[in-house]
Amino acid sequence: MKKVVSEINGAIFSLPWMVAKDEGLFAAEGIEMEFVTAVSSGQVAHTENPEEVNPILGHVAFEDAKVSIYRA
Amino acid sequence: MRGDSPHYYPGTLGNKPVAVQFHAGSHYVALRLLSGYLPEEKIKLVHYGSPQYRFEALMNGEVDAAALMEPWITLAEKLGCRPVCEGHYLGAENASDNMDEETFTAINRAVVKAVDMINADKRKYLHYLIDEPRFASVAVKYGSITPEDFHLSRIRYSYNTPYNDEIVEDTYHWMVRWGLLTDAACSADLVDNRIAEPVPADD
Repeated sequence: MKKVVSEINGAIFSLPWMVAKDEGLFAAEGIEMEFVTAVSSGQVAHTENPEEVNPILGHVAFEDAKVSIYRA
Repeated sequence: MRGDSPHYYPGTLGNKPVAVQFHAGSHYVALRLLSGYLPEEKIKLVHYGSPQYRFEALMNGEVDAAALMEPWITLAEKLGCRPVCEGHYLGAENASDNMDEETFTAINRAVVKAVDMINADKRKYLHYLIDEPRFASVAVKYGSITPEDFHLSRIRYSYNTPYNDEIVEDTYHWMVRWGLLTDAACSADLVDNRIAEPVPADD
């Protein structure tokens, strides 16, 4: 089994991945899938200027090379 | 918007705060939708972060509208809110350089099968949305929702396919036009489709 670590960011975005894991579809492909939940930004400072917001958002694990794939 | 809101279509939202998360789907979809009704200078998007904060800002009256996705839309509608515009966007799988083609293709085969399973019985899988901790912890304060509350037409999953050049170019120019991307970047550098070939569903 090859291990893959994927970020999960909201069930609506990752539903097929969650179903694939729970239904054994990844395992059938020889993949041991591990999920890491994206970091919540929590309460943020309100702004009308997009330049004041880091576009990485909660995808920190990918930036830190702790997961190899994510969706957005 | 809330049920007691005076807004019934996007054209009256000029200079009214709309909660989004900057640099995410809610930001881009809100811009695309509102710009069809309002001049740029009247569009007032405010960064509220994650969907639970946008939802709560809507419910407590801090903002006139919020850009939401499921299951927050269903919860809001159950509480009497109404949508004034809806849009959909194309997500992307972002893989790191160390993802090999064989693994990526195997993942896609599994995901495609899951898409088929979901589309064959969407309501069966809505518990994933309802039970997600970040949603459930907020929703319980408002009475929560059940799978029967959803409009299934909003639950859309399709097979992943590579971005074609036209979509990349159109999106690139749209982002540059809204100041979300510098035109010093080259659209051809933004998407790498080397290992994103379509995977047949019954492979």
